[in-house]
Amino acid sequence: MTITLRVILIICSLISFILCITRIKQSKLKIENSVIWMIGSILLIIMSIFANAVEWIANKLGFMAPVNFVFLVIIGFLLIQAFIDNMRISTLNEKIKDLNHYIALKEKERE
Amino acid sequence: MKTLIIIPAYNEELNIEKTIKDLKDNTNYDYLIINDCSKDKTKEVCKKNKFNILSLPINYGLTSGIQVGMKYAYKNNYDIVIQFDGDGQHQATYLKDLVKEIENGNCNIAIGSRFVNKKKPKNMRMFGSILLTLAIKITTGQKIKDPTSGMRAYDKKAIEYFIKNPSLTPEPDTLVYMLKKKMKIKEVQVEMREREYGESYLKPLKSAEYMINMFFSIIFIRAMTRKDKK
Repeated sequence: MTITLRVILIICSLISFILCITRIKQSKLKIENSVIWMIGSILLIIMSIFANAVEWIANKLGFMAPVNFVFLVIIGFLLIQAFIDNMRISTLNEKIKDLNHYIALKEKERE
Repeated sequence: MKTLIIIPAYNEELNIEKTIKDLKDNTNYDYLIINDCSKDKTKEVCKKNKFNILSLPINYGLTSGIQVGMKYAYKNNYDIVIQFDGDGQHQATYLKDLVKEIENGNCNIAIGSRFVNKKKPKNMRMFGSILLTLAIKITTGQKIKDPTSGMRAYDKKAIEYFIKNPSLTPEPDTLVYMLKKKMKIKEVQVEMREREYGESYLKPLKSAEYMINMFFSIIFIRAMTRKDKK
């Protein structure tokens, strides 16, 4: 990994980490939902600090360049996040539908 | 048997009076209009005529409409629920044939089908229907000649499945689910008209999306449905 990439990674993950914490303080983000982002940014910082370890793992796994390994980890992380969000949206959708039905049936009863 | 006709309606102010008149003239079953938060005067028209109407506060689509109808029927102990379009395509005279099939114990679900005795026309619009028939035949072994028909009667057992499983829709994939649950499905020959006013739930552009959804649901999800344990 080049030194530039390492610096960019560290800066970006620091920013996202700080962003997470300030958003929680402004209560715009629930703690349960933000933990995963904090873990993600810590992971990035670790990877950029211990670049030698990353290079060693990438080499053992047969990656052409260590940076590819870093990207793969990030993509995997994002895919899991997207999937979890999708599930959450479906659950919310189902809950709103139930409420919708409940209100309609209650109003019908009152007539 | 206590029978309820549910009529999902979205922006049907021009059709709904005719539909209810048809129902009242030709049947003596209870009915319930499900107003899916219409933007036009559907609700006002129904109130003015003192129709039995249930109004949803948020527009949530056809599936949600049928599901809330099922909940209502379950709560009020109906034995048979009929799904009937409010846009004037369906004719109420055929409903007693569907109910008769269920009352005689010939089936759990009766479908008002356009193609029992008649041949399916081979045009673009029927192409999807032919493919769906094929998919259902492959996954369940039963031939359903008109899988997209919106005129269906469900018995108590089918209603209970709808209550228990909120992923069930009033679409062809649910038929596969029901067949896998060892429910009997029978088709009854009916005639349908073309709609007169307003737009259908299935707009031409949406048809492709609808077909893809149906295929994935039938092949990967509904076909794997397990039988109930006794």
